[in-house]
Amino acid sequence: MTPTDILVIGGGIVGQVTAIELAQAGARITVVDAGINAGSTANAGSLHVQMQSRFMRLYPDQVPNIEASLPLYCQAVEEWRRLDAAYGPFELVRKGGLMLAEDATQLAFLEKKAAREAKKGVSVEILDRPALERIVPWLGPQIIGAELCRNEGKVNPLAANTRLRAVADALGVRFEQDHIRTLSAGNRIVAIGDRDTYPADRVVVAAAWGAGALVQGLGVAIPSVAEPLHMNITEASSARIEHLVQHAERSITLKQFKTGQIVIGGGWSAQHRGALRVPAVAPSSLLGNVSLAAKLVPAIGHMRIIRTWAGMNTTIDGASVIGPLPANDRVVMAVPGDAGYTLGPLVAKLAASCLLGQPDHGVIDRYTPARFAV
Amino acid sequence: MSRDSFHFDGNPIEFRDGQSVAAALTDAGQLALRRTAKGDPRGMFCGMGVCQECLVTIDGVPNRRACMTAAAKGLKIVPQIAFPVLEDMPAAQKPDPARILEPDVAIIGGGAGGLSAAIAARQAGASVIVLDERKVAGGQYYKQSASHPPLDAQQREGAALLKRAQESGADVLGSVEIWGAFDGPLFLADSEGAALIVRPKTAIIATGAYERPCMVPGWTLPGVMTTGAAQTLWRSYLTLPGKRIAICGSGPLNAQVALELAEGGADVAMVAEAARAPWRVPWHAFAALMADPGLVIKGLGMMRDLHRRGISLRHQTTLSRVDADGESLRATFKTASDEEIAETVDALCINSGFEPQNEILRLLGAKMTYDPAFGHLRCDRDTKMETSVRNIFAVGDCAGLGGAPAARVEGLIAGRVAAARAGFGDAHDLFSHQRRLARHRRFQASLWKMHDISPRTPDKAARDTIVCRCEEITLGDILDGLETSPGHVGTLKRATRVGMGRCQGRYCGPVATRLVAQTTGKPVDDFSNFAPRVPIKPVSIASILAAQEALDDPD
Repeated sequence: MTPTDILVIGGGIVGQVTAIELAQAGARITVVDAGINAGSTANAGSLHVQMQSRFMRLYPDQVPNIEASLPLYCQAVEEWRRLDAAYGPFELVRKGGLMLAEDATQLAFLEKKAAREAKKGVSVEILDRPALERIVPWLGPQIIGAELCRNEGKVNPLAANTRLRAVADALGVRFEQDHIRTLSAGNRIVAIGDRDTYPADRVVVAAAWGAGALVQGLGVAIPSVAEPLHMNITEASSARIEHLVQHAERSITLKQFKTGQIVIGGGWSAQHRGALRVPAVAPSSLLGNVSLAAKLVPAIGHMRIIRTWAGMNTTIDGASVIGPLPANDRVVMAVPGDAGYTLGPLVAKLAASCLLGQPDHGVIDRYTPARFAV
Repeated sequence: MSRDSFHFDGNPIEFRDGQSVAAALTDAGQLALRRTAKGDPRGMFCGMGVCQECLVTIDGVPNRRACMTAAAKGLKIVPQIAFPVLEDMPAAQKPDPARILEPDVAIIGGGAGGLSAAIAARQAGASVIVLDERKVAGGQYYKQSASHPPLDAQQREGAALLKRAQESGADVLGSVEIWGAFDGPLFLADSEGAALIVRPKTAIIATGAYERPCMVPGWTLPGVMTTGAAQTLWRSYLTLPGKRIAICGSGPLNAQVALELAEGGADVAMVAEAARAPWRVPWHAFAALMADPGLVIKGLGMMRDLHRRGISLRHQTTLSRVDADGESLRATFKTASDEEIAETVDALCINSGFEPQNEILRLLGAKMTYDPAFGHLRCDRDTKMETSVRNIFAVGDCAGLGGAPAARVEGLIAGRVAAARAGFGDAHDLFSHQRRLARHRRFQASLWKMHDISPRTPDKAARDTIVCRCEEITLGDILDGLETSPGHVGTLKRATRVGMGRCQGRYCGPVATRLVAQTTGKPVDDFSNFAPRVPIKPVSIASILAAQEALDDPD
């Protein structure tokens, strides 16, 4: 194979942006991707900032890490704005996100959460029903208030993925379809795939939930876990829902693309069928997820769901993993801790800065893979 | 006699009892029903609820299919709005309570195969429900009417089969659209806004096929419809698609519908058949004669009748483009000698073969094998019609094109075996069924060799040919996408939006899959197509909510 300075494992949002950053600096880059089950190609484009109630409920032990990462999320949305300006448009909208409350307990939870988030520099506000009605008149009558997070927004991931791929292509980045099984570290780093082997001077691991397994022989035990999640999309209606809508207690994200389709998701589970098959949609998730959306936004009742799918989210310990391995600095990790699509471009940029010899220690030291050294 | 009427775009439209909205509008000469997001006019295309082109807004509710909605007095209908306004829609009404059905045998599709299966399973003693999309079951071959008596022997045969199925004690439910199929099996359906949840012991999938179009510039114009759509208009609603008509593609349905429409009073300008004339392929004709002399004689009779009526049947003639010509359509054809001929018509019917409706089978994980001659997947089945998934059977065209007579026999076999699996009868000695089935299959094999339904891709020179009707994606868009995203049709879909629309890739999918195969050099197989997804057809959020509430109910 042709010489590669840097091999990027994983061709999702992280891998693509890493490749672009490095290729712009003059490196010869090869991206190798399995071509299946990438989180980015199934992603629905929410730009998350505020702590997701779903995550707090499911992974209470990871909440401190998430909370500490809040500035990173704010910065990540800014990074999306930079990318959108440079390579877009990706239909980026940043009207904020609403986390809805249906009773006093939920609203009290949001108030406490908002106070914690404000301390970390997130732009949040608690809205009562009349204030909500002024900006979102289509909510169900049971909603008594919400937390508004002004940093949040959405992009169209299909547009972003396609355009970023074109940018990478134009920079001469090579793309290979293969499933990398192991990394071996000798004079060069060699990635061994099902079809071929890929020697490189240095390697970026941008393989999301597959990252842990790839580097397990290299002195770290990174507990990356695949979390197959369910998504739904409707046919188009006129664009009225500008916010990213979530709930204080229940799993949901609801938003509308500029093209009019409403995307409903938010963490309902799908059935994992192994690394090489896409996850299967579970009827209970489809019914539960869509029904909840219908209750929160009754106006969408006549719209039809035209497609559902499942994609992989990645969880680790609530925080991202960025930077060189403690035992081998030629292998650099680039794995967002949660909300991988939101964090993706920023994590990519931070990882690329390590490879370019200008690591931003002030930010990345908190996310070093050294915390998983064995 | 004064007739009832509804309003379309402010104008009163009269309709006959039992007509669909689309049929009444066609009678009124209203072929264009909506404009796309890009402003192109569209009308009814498939006539069977698949293509999602005939969408209109009815009493404020957007995206209703005119072909599947019964006309009713006083309806206020307007052309579909590409981007309906949420606040303008009426509040979603509380639907009828959901029903949960748990029969021994559930049969999906009430056509030739499904009804036959129902009779066989009932005779064995099993409880049977048949779920059919149309108001009146019978399927696309028997096309029944809600209002008028049978027009001919084929419709009479269908009426008799439906009556036998109903009298057998099978519960034949119409207007049921299955939108979800899951392991179990579990089927989720919508029945006129109410949810239906079906958890059978065994299931027989008999969902038939839909038509393969001729993809040429202009095939999306209102007035261009599938041959089956025109046949449904006539057989089910006594509506002619237009006064002057041309029919093209390949296969026996085209000639048959030409005669039916001519008998109904249409002026059929031409039947263009892509294949060579049967006398040029005498060995296939002879093989067909050996397999089923009766059907061959029927076919020869059709050719004689076309001749008698002065309808020109042109072999080796294919559609090259369609253009709007005032209120009419100008269809241009290429003949065997590469000559261009054109016809000006009100409606153009196209059928270049069939695509199996195998969505449920694929969702349930039934194994498929690509049939390169027909250009579609065939479901792997044993001799008892069972798929690779235990207790899931497949009969008729949904398992691969095979024709109605074969579907009936397959239904008889599957009905008995499925009933036995549920504990009724022993399904012993299927020998005579198997022998009849072999004969029908021999006939079908030679029949299709006399036609030209080989899988095609559009002429690459005509880059502006629309391939994906829903998302308005052209051949040029797809060829550009193949330059950067050639790996799989799923990648191409995300890069170009091909197949992302309401029909869920039913028309563009097979073509995009073939283009990917041509580009990558990888042969088409079970996994080359778009991944199967629920919902099988678009389903309203209100209907999903109703299903959820029924399943949540502790009672």
